Amino acid sequence: MTDKNRDIRDDEFRVIGRSPQHETSTEDVRRRNTGVSIISAIIVLAIGILAIVMWPKDAPEDPNDGVFENAPEVVTPGAIVRLGVETDASFTEKLDTVINDVHLSLYIPHNAKPELTLGVPDRNDKNIILAAQAADIRRDNQKILGAFVLKGEPLAWGLSKKGFCAIIEDKVTVGVSENSPLFEEATEKGGYFFRQYPLVDNGVLVENEQKNKTMRKALCSRAGQIFVAVSETDESMHDFAQALVDLGVENAIYLVGSHSSFGWYIDSAGEKTLFAPDVHRGTYRNENYIVWR
Amino acid sequence: MNKVIVISKGTELLRIPAHRLVYISADGNYSEVVTQDNRKRIVSYQLGQIEDMIGDQLGDDGSNFIRLGRGLIINLDFVYWVDVAKQALILSDCAGCYHELTASREVLIKLKAYLDAIVRND
Repeated sequence: MTDKNRDIRDDEFRVIGRSPQHETSTEDVRRRNTGVSIISAIIVLAIGILAIVMWPKDAPEDPNDGVFENAPEVVTPGAIVRLGVETDASFTEKLDTVINDVHLSLYIPHNAKPELTLGVPDRNDKNIILAAQAADIRRDNQKILGAFVLKGEPLAWGLSKKGFCAIIEDKVTVGVSENSPLFEEATEKGGYFFRQYPLVDNGVLVENEQKNKTMRKALCSRAGQIFVAVSETDESMHDFAQALVDLGVENAIYLVGSHSSFGWYIDSAGEKTLFAPDVHRGTYRNENYIVWR
Repeated sequence: MNKVIVISKGTELLRIPAHRLVYISADGNYSEVVTQDNRKRIVSYQLGQIEDMIGDQLGDDGSNFIRLGRGLIINLDFVYWVDVAKQALILSDCAGCYHELTASREVLIKLKAYLDAIVRND
C-alpha cells in the first residue's frame, strides 16, 4: 500500500490486481485466460525484490502529507491525442466528459470555416453548424468590449481583456497578449479579431476576478484543434479553467456564457440544438458571434 | 471468487465477500462501499487505497474489479448495461440489486471494448 494516490485520469480504465501496462486490450483477456499471469507474477516479484534492495533506506517522507489532508496528487499528463472522429462531413461533434467533477461538453466543428458576425446570426441558416456568442458588450453604451475586427474592419480598440481570438485566412488563433500583432494582421488580410477573458495560456491556468458560478463557455485550442467547451453545471471561472487545463487545452479564452447566452450547433444527423433555453431577452446591435459555416 | 475483502482502520473493520461487492465510489477522502444487498457504507480511505487493498488481498481475482476513472471501482460481474452515448452504467444482479451510475464517455468506451473482448475470448 505504498502507492496510495496512484494517478488515474477520468478517462482511464484499469484492471485491478495487474500491472498498469496491461490495460484494456484483447491481449489482456487472452493472457487472463491462458495463465500468463503466473509469469507476470514472477516478474513483478523480481522487480519487487530489486526495488527493496535498491530503495534508499532513509528516504524522506513527503512533508506535504498530513494526517487530515493527503499530499497533493501529482497528475502526469497523458499523450495529447486529437479529439473526435475523422470525417468529410460538415457538422459539429459533441463529446461529453467529466474532468475533476466538472461536466464538460465539447463542440468540435468539422469541415467548416470560422468567422465572426455582428448581430444574431440567421437561426434558419442551415450552413451554420456552430454559433456561440463571442465578445461581450458594455452595459452602459452597448459598445463591443475590447478590440474587435470584422472582415478586416476594426470596430473597437479596447484592451480591457487580455485574451484574444484571431481568424485570419480561416485559421483560428487563441492566445493571451496585451498587444497582439494579429489585430493588425486581421485588418490587413480581411480577417476577424475579438478579445475576451483569458482562461488558459500555454497550458497554464489564468486567474480571473469573477468568483460567481454559472454556466461557462470557452473557445479552446488543443493539439491543433479548435473547439468550444461548455460546462453543463454552474462553475466558477477557476474550476472551469482548471478542467480545461486538465483536459490538455493549450490556450483558451472565455466566450459569453451564462444561461442566457445564445448559440446552437448542428449534429451529424442535421439536428439543431441550442446551448441554452431560448429565453426571451433583448437583442443588441453589437451582439456578436463566432460561427462556423 | 470466494475470497473476502477486509477494510480495516482504527477501531472499525469492514469484511465483504468479494463476489458480493458491487462497486465503490469516491467521496473526497472517503469511499462509499456498496454491496449486493444494496447497503452502503462509508470508509475513511481514498479510492486509490481501496484499489490497492483489492489488488493485495485478491491477487489474480482482483482482475474482476475495474477502476473507472477517478470516481469508481466496479465488479465486472454486475455490469448489466453500458450506454456510452448517455454516459450510463447500470450495475445489477438482475434480482434485487440495481444501481445506475455515470462515467465519462471515454472510460465507458474502454469498458465496453474490454467486455466485448472477454466474450470473444471465452
